[in-house]
Amino acid sequence: MIEAEGLTLIYGRGGAAVPAVAGLSLAVDSYELVSVVGPSGCGKTTLLFALDGLLHPTAGRIRIHGEEVRGVRRDVALILQDAGLLPWKTVRANAELALRIQGRKESAGRVLAELGLAGFERRFPSELSEGMKRRVGIARALALQPRVMLMDEPTANLDSLTREHIQNLILGLWWEMGFTGVLVTHDMEEAVFLGKRILVLSPRPARVVEVIENPGMGEPGYRGTPEFTAQVAHLRQALLGSNGS
Amino acid sequence: MIRTLRVVLNYLLAMAVVVLLWAGVSWLLEVSRGREILPTPWVTFAAAMDNIGTLASAFGTSALRFLIALAVAFLLGLPLGLAVGFESKLDRYLSPLIYLLYPMPPVALLLFLYLAFGLGEVVRLVVVVMALFFQVVVAAQGAAKYIVPSHVTAVRSAGATRWQIYRHVVLPATLPSVLTAARVSVGLGITMLYIAETKLGVLLGPGAGLGRFIEYYTFRGDISLAGVVGLALLGLLFYVVLELGERVLCRWKFVGARGGT
Repeated sequence: MIEAEGLTLIYGRGGAAVPAVAGLSLAVDSYELVSVVGPSGCGKTTLLFALDGLLHPTAGRIRIHGEEVRGVRRDVALILQDAGLLPWKTVRANAELALRIQGRKESAGRVLAELGLAGFERRFPSELSEGMKRRVGIARALALQPRVMLMDEPTANLDSLTREHIQNLILGLWWEMGFTGVLVTHDMEEAVFLGKRILVLSPRPARVVEVIENPGMGEPGYRGTPEFTAQVAHLRQALLGSNGS
Repeated sequence: MIRTLRVVLNYLLAMAVVVLLWAGVSWLLEVSRGREILPTPWVTFAAAMDNIGTLASAFGTSALRFLIALAVAFLLGLPLGLAVGFESKLDRYLSPLIYLLYPMPPVALLLFLYLAFGLGEVVRLVVVVMALFFQVVVAAQGAAKYIVPSHVTAVRSAGATRWQIYRHVVLPATLPSVLTAARVSVGLGITMLYIAETKLGVLLGPGAGLGRFIEYYTFRGDISLAGVVGLALLGLLFYVVLELGERVLCRWKFVGARGGT
């Protein structure tokens, strides 16, 4: 379970201080996958980095499984927007990077094979397509066998077919592995497809302005149903409202 | 393999062109001035063969000296440059100092270096190290300043320590730029080596480095020129070694995009 109470994050000091998140509270149940949407630059990524322990809150607190987050936790994995692959490491070395940093000896071979990357282990990121790079980024997170998965726009700048493929992959992995997930996205269809609940944030400084329940999420063929289309329309209205336009 | 062969052939072709140009200039000078000014390549080659023992000793001494200087410049300059470029606090305090010292030619400080280190081997090394050190520092600093933030986030989110951030991100990200800068600096380093060996080695024999060899045979143009060719070959050797080093250590830079599904 992830809980944030009165979370405030301010960049800089004095006159140059920029509040990115102001008094935000949220709760994500164990094994729940929640989408977070909001206007561009509203502080979504800042919120995710705080949940990961990369940023220390100016005020408020974050708890994961009841323990206060004071730094990076080993049971939490972060998937970065552009996958954050290191160009000088091979696919395998990238997938095992987090494991090695944590001093763990496990191999990422099985995870890479499951994500369709068998045979590409010795390639460098520059030799891969964008979709493959994202899958390596996902493999790096999965290799840690995390209890919590934080995802920062994992399908940004992908073509529509590859995007759907990655979204299906994330949904399948969530079913299979049962992690607790927070997905930050600016893509409304993605938010509805992957969020059991959708948190709508205000413009910066971010706070939760609406929580949309999305019970149909995860149903087979959900993407093609009228409920899905209605939820996307609802979310669009909520976002326009939060943006004040 | 074919690529390596092509590179070797290109170098051989370049050498042939240089020899032809050299022969042409030598002939032109002789015709215009009525006497030999610049010894021809074959006369120089014959002089080199006659003094091959001394020349080889001079080449070996200079090569070892340059190698040590390069290694010391890397060992000292790389950590400093990376830290100053990556740590914003260090950048603020140390960058002005580096930029102030960087343009200062070590040759201008020869007298003080001589007084500080004596007239032995150390001072000759110090001059070359000083020239290469700042090249490495400035290149490493520049490259470390522009590291892609998501690369650092990727390792930090896994719980990386400061040392692990340097090992997995900062060092490999900057290595190509540093090696390129080192390659570009070979020319400057060889010049400094020549100066150090001539100005700070007057009492030594001709085998004590190529600079000393050239100086020792000042009045034997053909032998002296063989030493100059030796210096050029020394520069080429280090240029090639650094390029090979880059190809091995930065293999990722030399793979093309192949795409996929």
